[in-house]
Amino acid sequence: MEILKCEGIKKVYGSGANQVKALNGIDLVVNKGEFVAIIGASGSGKSTLLHILGNVDKPTEGKVVVGETDISASNKTQAALFRRRKVGLIYQFYNLIPTLTVRKNILMPLLLDKKKPNQEFFDQIVKSLGIADKLESLPNQLSGGQQQRAAIARSLIYRPALLLADEPTGNLDQKNSKEIIDMLKLSNHNLEQTIVFITHDEKIALEADRIITIADGRIINDERRR
Amino acid sequence: MWKDYSLSYVKNNRSSSVFIIIAAFISALLLSLLCSLFYNLWFYDVQKLKIEEGDWQGRLVGEISTDDLTLIENYASVEKVTVNENLSDEQGIVVDVYFTNMGNVFTDMPKIAELAGLPAESVSCHYSLLSLYLIRSAEDPALRWIFPFYLLTTVIACLSLILVIHNAFAVTMSARIHQFGIFSSIGATPRQIRACLLQEAFTLSTIPIIVGNVLGILICMGVIEGINFAMTDVPGRLVMPFRYHPLILVLSLLATVLTVWISAWIPARKMGKLTPMEAIRNTNELQLKRRKQSRILSLVFGVEGELAGNALKAQRRSMRTATLSLVFSFLTFSFMMCFFTLLIVNQNMTYFEKYQDVWDVMVTVKNTDIDAFTETDALQELYGVESGAVYQKAVAKRMVTQDEISEELQAIGGLENASTQYVSAVDGAWMVNAPLVIMDDTSFLAYCEQIGVEPRLDGAIILNQARDGSDPNFHDRRSVSYLVENGQTTILRNAGQEDVSVEIPVLAYACQVPVLREEYGTLDYYELVHFVPLSVWKEIKGQIGGAKADTYIRILARDEVDLAEMEDEVSGLLSRGYQAEIENRIQAKLDNDRMFHGMMAIIGLFCILLAVIGIGNIFTNTFGFVRQRKREFARYMSIGMTPDELKKIFCVEALVIAGRPILITIPITVISVVVFINMAYIDPMVFLHEAPFIPILLFFLAIIGFVALAYYIGAKKVLGSSLIDSLRDDTTI
Repeated sequence: MEILKCEGIKKVYGSGANQVKALNGIDLVVNKGEFVAIIGASGSGKSTLLHILGNVDKPTEGKVVVGETDISASNKTQAALFRRRKVGLIYQFYNLIPTLTVRKNILMPLLLDKKKPNQEFFDQIVKSLGIADKLESLPNQLSGGQQQRAAIARSLIYRPALLLADEPTGNLDQKNSKEIIDMLKLSNHNLEQTIVFITHDEKIALEADRIITIADGRIINDERRR
Repeated sequence: MWKDYSLSYVKNNRSSSVFIIIAAFISALLLSLLCSLFYNLWFYDVQKLKIEEGDWQGRLVGEISTDDLTLIENYASVEKVTVNENLSDEQGIVVDVYFTNMGNVFTDMPKIAELAGLPAESVSCHYSLLSLYLIRSAEDPALRWIFPFYLLTTVIACLSLILVIHNAFAVTMSARIHQFGIFSSIGATPRQIRACLLQEAFTLSTIPIIVGNVLGILICMGVIEGINFAMTDVPGRLVMPFRYHPLILVLSLLATVLTVWISAWIPARKMGKLTPMEAIRNTNELQLKRRKQSRILSLVFGVEGELAGNALKAQRRSMRTATLSLVFSFLTFSFMMCFFTLLIVNQNMTYFEKYQDVWDVMVTVKNTDIDAFTETDALQELYGVESGAVYQKAVAKRMVTQDEISEELQAIGGLENASTQYVSAVDGAWMVNAPLVIMDDTSFLAYCEQIGVEPRLDGAIILNQARDGSDPNFHDRRSVSYLVENGQTTILRNAGQEDVSVEIPVLAYACQVPVLREEYGTLDYYELVHFVPLSVWKEIKGQIGGAKADTYIRILARDEVDLAEMEDEVSGLLSRGYQAEIENRIQAKLDNDRMFHGMMAIIGLFCILLAVIGIGNIFTNTFGFVRQRKREFARYMSIGMTPDELKKIFCVEALVIAGRPILITIPITVISVVVFINMAYIDPMVFLHEAPFIPILLFFLAIIGFVALAYYIGAKKVLGSSLIDSLRDDTTI
């Protein structure tokens, strides 16, 4: 069952002589429950693709359908609500709000919708991510690994069907990287979430069910491993 | 290298430099205005004092011969010596001594006296004049605050400005911490970084400092001319044109340069101290050191309120200037408006309303005794004069025995309660002040008719009232009768020689006073006022003496008469042989209002300046933090916050910044006003009727408007930026 479909996505920055084609016709289908790694050299367009999939950025051309919604046609408010409810985004530098506690950071998407969290689910997430004792700390009081766990917890709190991660282990040591990938795999397995993540690390990419390689804004290889 | 780097930065980052330019300009303008204004005020005080008391520095009184004078004149530090003919009399010669260096006056005057064979008591110094040159003596106990006040205010202004503007430098410098981290990592010393930043600050500040100083002088010129214009008619005021001295320019330039230098040095020092890693890692992020909660904002505005509250707390240090200056300006403005309104209400109650039916034109005939004044009849016959009273005041004493004191006065404690400054016990009786009001005969006869006694010119009418000192309400004083009304005569005594007395008949004991612009028993509650006709005064003045220097004329005009015209007519009549100061009731009210409004305008200007600093600071923050706010808001957007929710955060922040002054100001102002109303016995409804709600509201709306504008521009910049670019910033660090 398709959860994500891209048709002819192009993204162009600048104009005239300064024009840069970040994506040059990407066609991609991701099925529900897949664990996909996107790899590629710096400047290949993988982050741009992920941002477009997460409705953080808009394609210059093409169509992106998540579930049954064409997100490429959404306005700013619709895009925001999509990011809040439909996808979980994880960044290399965590993007936690430095003035809020870890607890508030995790609950933020729900708080924005004025929804009460399911305490059982919240406890389960923070316990499994190993940050239950850090909930009242501020992000700058945590280590990088702990901050990334908090960012993952935040991305999971709305139980999105699709989780997008932009180099989630890029800023972590080997041990923490392994743990984060294990957690994503667990989430993929237990919550049946579809996960698309970007990585530079081939070893980590090998943990995925499918590896997509991008170069010069195009998919040059799409390998299903399982 | 630094020169190239700094010049290139200044050229390519004009928007961030603009805050430094504004900060330096405001400092220069304010300090130059302050210095010029204080110099003019000081100069006015000096000139006024010289005219009123003379420009002498030291004075000798005694038997001084021509030889002595030559001796004094030849004393090393003495510039000149003059004999004061006006003060010299048979008791001794008064010699005014002027020194080349005024600072020598206290040390040299005793030596000069000794040289001239005069005792130490013969020496006096012009303490009030000398204090204006900051020359003080331990022997002068008086609190001469003018010069120290000017100095202290200037120092406080410099310190406040440092507090206010160092933030503008800090924001601009902090924007480049990362760059300085790189410099530091490749071997730039803290001293080099500090020097580079200071060099930049001075490059940017030089022109604003010069322009601000010049503009400050020009504004001061306008203010002085404005004050002169507004107070032209105020009696006894000197009209002093604007003055300036090159030393003041040097002083204000020094003060400005020092202020700007310290303001730039504080953040530059901090930047220099950062280690390379601290500087390179610095993300300019809003960070909280420890967990804080914005309960109220969170409760009222939800999660957006909490985020706004936390952002404000994280920015607290950099916003401190804005907060302080906005709160202080609004507080000062509200306080000043209320205080002046209270003063006006109070003055209306105690003066203008109280005396509005008592006088229309008032003349002070300088250095003239009433019996020497010959224009009384001509004055009373002038067209338009309903009634004209000519009077002079004199001091005298009177003995009051215990038997004479009324039962009412005895019931409230009698004269035992009186201050010994005014009443003294003498041989079982009391010696009290008995001020005389000597009226021209016609007016005295009219007064007799007014109180219903047979008009006569051979005695005195005693104001038989003593103020009840236990009643603190000075607007509506409670009085009791002073004497039992059985004395047929009153014995007045010379105030200087109490054994010299004169006995005159008492025509009446009255509770009503004649229609004069006078107040009785204000300081001395137990003075026994005697109204006497000129005819009696002529007979007793030889014994009683004590007449004050000036004679007064009180004129009530007919309804249809223009008071300014009448003033001119009286002035014309008195121009032959009298030196007179004339005021009319309406003009006096207008002058008084103008004076109040002038003062309000000056303080208002100061408040506006403070508000401008505060708002300027908010602009600095909103623009200076655009980069960090971009990232902050990108984070909010990345987790699904909608544009409306982001705008709500900005609105809450703006509301808190603009609302804080009112939340702090209103309780303080209300409490102060209530205290003052109670102290001054003012009817709260009268105050409420006159209360300056509209100017305060307008000032507040202006603050809200400008804060909202600053946030609107800032928000537009942040919200208009690309989410992807803002997030990408992270990965470039």
